[in-house]
Amino acid sequence: MSGPSSQKGGIPDYLDYPWRRRGLDHDRFAHRNLPQAQPIEWPGKARVALWIAVHVGHFPMDMPRAPFVAPGGVDRPYPSYWDYTQRDYGNRVGIYRLMKVLDQRGLRATALMNSAVATRYPALAKEVAASRWEVAAAGVDMGKLHHGKLPEAEERALVARSVEDLRSAFATKVRGWHSPAHSESMHTLDLVAEAGLDWVADWINDDMPYAVTTKHGPLTAMPLAWDLSDQRLLFQQHMDTSEFVEQVLRAFSTLYGEAASKGGRVLTLTITPWVMGQPHRIRALGALLDRLLEPAGMWPATAAEIVDAWRACTK
Amino acid sequence: MLADPGHYDYAPYTGRPRIVWPNGARIAVWLAPNIEHYELEPPDNPRKVPWPRPVPDILNYSHRDYGNRTGFWRMADVMAKHGVRGSVSLNVAVCDHFPEIIERCCQLDWELFSHGTYNTRYFYDLSEEQQRAVIADSRETIRKASGQTLDGWLTPAITNDETTQHVLAEEGIKYTLDMVHDDQPMPVKVRNGRLISVPYSLEVNDVPLFQLRNTPVERYTAMVKAQFDQLYAEGADNGTVMCLPLHPFLIGQPQRIAALDAALAHIVAHDGVWLATGREIAAWYTEHYYDAVSHWLAAGTPGGRR
Repeated sequence: MSGPSSQKGGIPDYLDYPWRRRGLDHDRFAHRNLPQAQPIEWPGKARVALWIAVHVGHFPMDMPRAPFVAPGGVDRPYPSYWDYTQRDYGNRVGIYRLMKVLDQRGLRATALMNSAVATRYPALAKEVAASRWEVAAAGVDMGKLHHGKLPEAEERALVARSVEDLRSAFATKVRGWHSPAHSESMHTLDLVAEAGLDWVADWINDDMPYAVTTKHGPLTAMPLAWDLSDQRLLFQQHMDTSEFVEQVLRAFSTLYGEAASKGGRVLTLTITPWVMGQPHRIRALGALLDRLLEPAGMWPATAAEIVDAWRACTK
Repeated sequence: MLADPGHYDYAPYTGRPRIVWPNGARIAVWLAPNIEHYELEPPDNPRKVPWPRPVPDILNYSHRDYGNRTGFWRMADVMAKHGVRGSVSLNVAVCDHFPEIIERCCQLDWELFSHGTYNTRYFYDLSEEQQRAVIADSRETIRKASGQTLDGWLTPAITNDETTQHVLAEEGIKYTLDMVHDDQPMPVKVRNGRLISVPYSLEVNDVPLFQLRNTPVERYTAMVKAQFDQLYAEGADNGTVMCLPLHPFLIGQPQRIAALDAALAHIVAHDGVWLATGREIAAWYTEHYYDAVSHWLAAGTPGGRR
């Protein structure tokens, strides 16, 4: 056995730290410590804004496998009816269950919608509009990821197509953006602002909104849950529906408690028609919503409503 | 390549010299919050790709950033509520990027030790000179930020190379956390100087539990309690160490923070528990037991089942 050895020359320039400075290693926004953030007062002095965000996606059966497959994307050999039809179930059946459960409680969600859903299924777009949901642009489809190796011109065209198709499908204003699979390039935020949108929900570093800088004016970042989403817990981590409910209630309890002294908080319920809209889960969703609406000081709101209230407080 | 780290001889978990912690305590419990920064655009390393997605991997980057913006503050409040200090496994560049975090740690009388410069700067393939440069940078950065000496070490992302423990000892590091081979501190065989290992944990550690093993939140509390209860019982015969590593981006999430609160409430309710820092455990062990254990090891671990 030889003794321990190490690379004589090491790795050239490996100890250069070009961004070692006060603040973050990029210029999109300033670092913020949540306890030092300005306290927010929601309409009606509500303690917690309840944002229901629904991923409404289309997963093409021939979606590319590179540079990575979006969660829920096709991961079996072509032609995977297994993956394709199970996701499509969400747009045919699951989402109607979600709309019914929300309608019954007078709740409106924000749909983070691939534009392909609206162009392929106009009947669904009509129903979403009738439920008065907010619609945010979530790219074209789940096979068209925004990522660091995508040429800027191609990405600009994707953003434009998504926003234009959704704007023609819905009379209400499309203001928000979510990149499929929370994936961005270095240009995405600039392109989103350039397309005239004013809020975005991709980064998962905060419990509260914050301002993002772009070449085309500011965007407001919204705290879309990922670690607490139905896709993460139920699909990726194989947990029980009861564990999802338990964790959402725990998050609620923490945020509601903090709101007593630290200003309004946002609880984001991130759900997906092909996950939470399954028959065996839908009643649990209804019961969870009833629990969340019970305490005083809950403000169910869309992302745009939360963004506007947050901006009014932080002007 | 080595077939064995070569840093320790086999030591059965029986017949060992008896350890008693200060004031007759049977277990030393220490909390190791990993306060880290993962770079958006890290350099390439020949043996480890920093991000699973193409740069910028804003999903995984911002998930970690949550710890410094949000999770840390919640976690620190819960630890303070129970009177439990932290021993920070610190990517020392955090002192430059987010000095308010370091101020809060110092205000709470926490220890700072080094977890390298960034969690995206691995030790794989570094020359010894480069490893020494990182250690010297850590020593100076921690001294400037807190006035503390650099006593402990956990290699970033546990990417130590074959020579790292030797270099640590030569650079005056007193305890290493790179090895999880025991529930007691142990002498580490190095070519020069003196180094001990202090138990860390990859079991009751929020990263493997929540990121890799899909652990329900209540199960986390149950596992931490079970870990404590067993080491507490064994500590009556021979003092043990329990480390609870924490990552604010995970444990500091609103759905998880109460799980830490409940686990700490259980631990602090017991007598005979030494709530210590890594530095304090290493110092007590080195002063009172290093020689006795070294002699026992040199003598071929005599004794055994009684």
